[in-house]
Amino acid sequence: MINTWTWFIWIAAVLIALSVTRNPLYIILILLCLFLLDTQLALKSRITNGADDNRSIPVSPFRIALMLITLSAVFNAAISHYGETVLFSLPTSFPLIGGSITVEAFVYGALNGLVLFGIFYAFFILNRALSVRRLIRVIPRAFYPVAVVTSIAITFIPNTIRQYHQIREAQSVRGHRMRGIRDWLPLLIPLLTGGLERALSLSESMSARGLAASTANQEVWWGRIMVLFGLLLLLIGWILTLFTDWLLFGSLLLISGIGLLLIVLWLIGRSTPHSTYILEKWTWQDALILSGVAAVISALLFPLPFIDKETLHYEVYPTMHLPGFDPFIGILLLGLLMPAILIYISNISVQE
Amino acid sequence: MISFQSVTFSYPGADRPAIQDVDLVIAEGMLALVCGLSGSGKSTLLRCINGLVPHFSGGTLRGAIRIAGLDPVQESPNMMSRHVGFVFQDPESQFVVDRVEDEIAFALENAAMPVDEMHTRVEVAMDMLKLTPLRNRSLDNLSGGEKQRVALASALVLKPNILVLDEPTSQLDAGSADELLQLLVQLKGEHNLTVILAEHRLERILPYTDQMIYLDKSVPGVLSGRPRDILSLISLGPPVVKLANRFGWEPKPLGVEEAKKFISTSIINPIKKVSFSSESNYKQPYIQVSDLDIHIGTKQILDGINLNLFPGEILVLMGPNGAGKSTLLRSIVGLQPINSGSISVANQSISGKHVSDICQKVGYLPQDPNALLFAESVSEELQITIHNHHLNPDDMHPDELLRFLGISEKRDSYPRDLSVGEKQRVALAAITITQPGAIILDEPTRGLDYEAKQDLITLLKIWCAEGMGVLLVTHDVEMAAATADRIALIDQGRITAVGDPVEVSASSGLFSPQITLLFPGSGWLTPEDVTL
Repeated sequence: MINTWTWFIWIAAVLIALSVTRNPLYIILILLCLFLLDTQLALKSRITNGADDNRSIPVSPFRIALMLITLSAVFNAAISHYGETVLFSLPTSFPLIGGSITVEAFVYGALNGLVLFGIFYAFFILNRALSVRRLIRVIPRAFYPVAVVTSIAITFIPNTIRQYHQIREAQSVRGHRMRGIRDWLPLLIPLLTGGLERALSLSESMSARGLAASTANQEVWWGRIMVLFGLLLLLIGWILTLFTDWLLFGSLLLISGIGLLLIVLWLIGRSTPHSTYILEKWTWQDALILSGVAAVISALLFPLPFIDKETLHYEVYPTMHLPGFDPFIGILLLGLLMPAILIYISNISVQE
Repeated sequence: MISFQSVTFSYPGADRPAIQDVDLVIAEGMLALVCGLSGSGKSTLLRCINGLVPHFSGGTLRGAIRIAGLDPVQESPNMMSRHVGFVFQDPESQFVVDRVEDEIAFALENAAMPVDEMHTRVEVAMDMLKLTPLRNRSLDNLSGGEKQRVALASALVLKPNILVLDEPTSQLDAGSADELLQLLVQLKGEHNLTVILAEHRLERILPYTDQMIYLDKSVPGVLSGRPRDILSLISLGPPVVKLANRFGWEPKPLGVEEAKKFISTSIINPIKKVSFSSESNYKQPYIQVSDLDIHIGTKQILDGINLNLFPGEILVLMGPNGAGKSTLLRSIVGLQPINSGSISVANQSISGKHVSDICQKVGYLPQDPNALLFAESVSEELQITIHNHHLNPDDMHPDELLRFLGISEKRDSYPRDLSVGEKQRVALAAITITQPGAIILDEPTRGLDYEAKQDLITLLKIWCAEGMGVLLVTHDVEMAAATADRIALIDQGRITAVGDPVEVSASSGLFSPQITLLFPGSGWLTPEDVTL
């Protein structure tokens, strides 16, 4: 099992990669890595669950890709009138959108859309890879109640989506059609009341299952006072460093405030009786993924002698031209593929 | 182990107590069945055991309750969770996370259990409930029976001495329900667990019951004792008990096996009931499904379905959870796109038609009637359907329909405040005001007590006699036996049998009513059919 923190580091590398380059060839390479990983995770889910894991995904990611790229391209073309390849012109009397509509603006917008989709797709994959429980286990113990509420909220969303579909179907059976805002009423009222009923059942069930059984009588009153004090130190330190000449004193207060907050949270965490079912370990698989991440980061951020970093900075303006491609950067970016390779090997061994 | 002394409880703002003057003792290691009509206080009684009433509900409680030496009113439900495991009616509504193993471990993490102990307990719970192969599965992808087992494991993992279950089989097919009940009996025997469960379908649970507790909202207190003694005092009872009452069998049999002892001496030659239920007895089908295939994702849900519904017949569709029953119903009203085959309603293909146009001719009642109701009053619900379908209000007769359904007194009531049975009738009114030629009902008996179920059966029979076709999906074999002109069985997306209720029921023990099991080959389905 890949460590949750490894997944977080991997997604950080994807986000860095997507924010550093606008070269479409590199972006497509990153998206290809994401796609292959998504395919392997979907296969893993089918092997584990014996079914497609489609229920929790209300919209296909590729529809979202289409929507993001189209919207971004059209929006950028409409408001940015740079570029030399003019497709057509709108009268300049039109506010904001008046002027030349250029191919370059279209392409620049589409590239931004592609990057936005990449960010969405990376989080989509993280959601597939990590269960709700694994995600909330990394939240510090001091925030355990917050973690539980987050967990409920995350599991509540797919249920609400499912309920919305059921209600919409039930209403269409009665001849209901969506035409205007008023037509939402037959959907919203059952959705709202149903949601409240489910929330009530869930909270009843959680009480019956002993949530906070051991903390019910332990009020961490001192923690609240210390947190307040820490925040106060932070605020005063921040004001002093920003608006006065007492830079050193202000910085000391800032550091003391942060330190106090960390210590208090640690102490509150220790006083929250709670144990963790799965204690994650670091394995050779994590080492491999992290080495892949290191390769990506070094390609993008460090001045390696054999790498042409200029190819990262593709600029479509003023005239569109073919982007450059450095095979070394391409190879190092494939480091993002490491989780896909490991899951592929695991899927093969399970199938055999 | 469990004692109630003069316990009376009223919910906040209620004009009468939910339970009144309850005196009750349940000994350790018993399997106690709590029964009674809807609104009689079954769920309230169960929730008193772990302190959800009054801690969670509010309200006023008088009297004394002792559970495993503790007072749940003094303790909180959280503290009581160490002694009382609680499984709710709808397992889905009680899940907090998304994976089987995580869900079971959740309560232990909350209890700050040491990691090694936690692993041992989770393994034992999963092994006990045969969940080990499903440990990494997503809860979304489990069947109804599997979800119920996860809910049970999540309750048992805290090693409670008492297990409370609120209508645990209401969403399960006959096979899964039987499996669950066998499991409870096994747990009770092996772990000396005290099991208390509320259930409407007595025929399933009575053979395993040690103690029966009957609540009646019009009478204070409860009737509690051995099932045979209580069944002599109340009108509720499964078919074998009704038969025993009719023929004076004593001691009363609680299940088919016990009843068989009386049969060997009473009947020599059961008379075969003549059946006329074949398609040749009908004319043109009102709904015709031909070679229907449906895929959802990569999975084939329905495979070559051929099924007809004729005017004036009640066709009951039965099958295990996940067999494709609901998908078939949804495809008939156009809610589920089809891959191949055809569906016609009143001799017209539904292809390309909008759901609302199809539903003017076929009324469809989904599993949860709450999804249909949103208006301020019952009569407004009907007016909205009339308006949605652009029908002439003068041609419709909502008051007449409400009178026919026995809810005319509720015409100004807020629909969501009504009882389960009344809500279902309002939903039925909302879909039949268009005067459709057929209605299709998906699991209409969920949560209905015996009385409400009888009323529904009567209603369907009247509609049927007036020429309406009724397609009914249910797990309730006794309901099917009492209503069906024909039964169709569906399994893994295929119709495996269709035709005469006697023959189809007899072909599969899981779908046989008690009377058919008791008198194999007789052609009898209900106690009324039996002529000794």
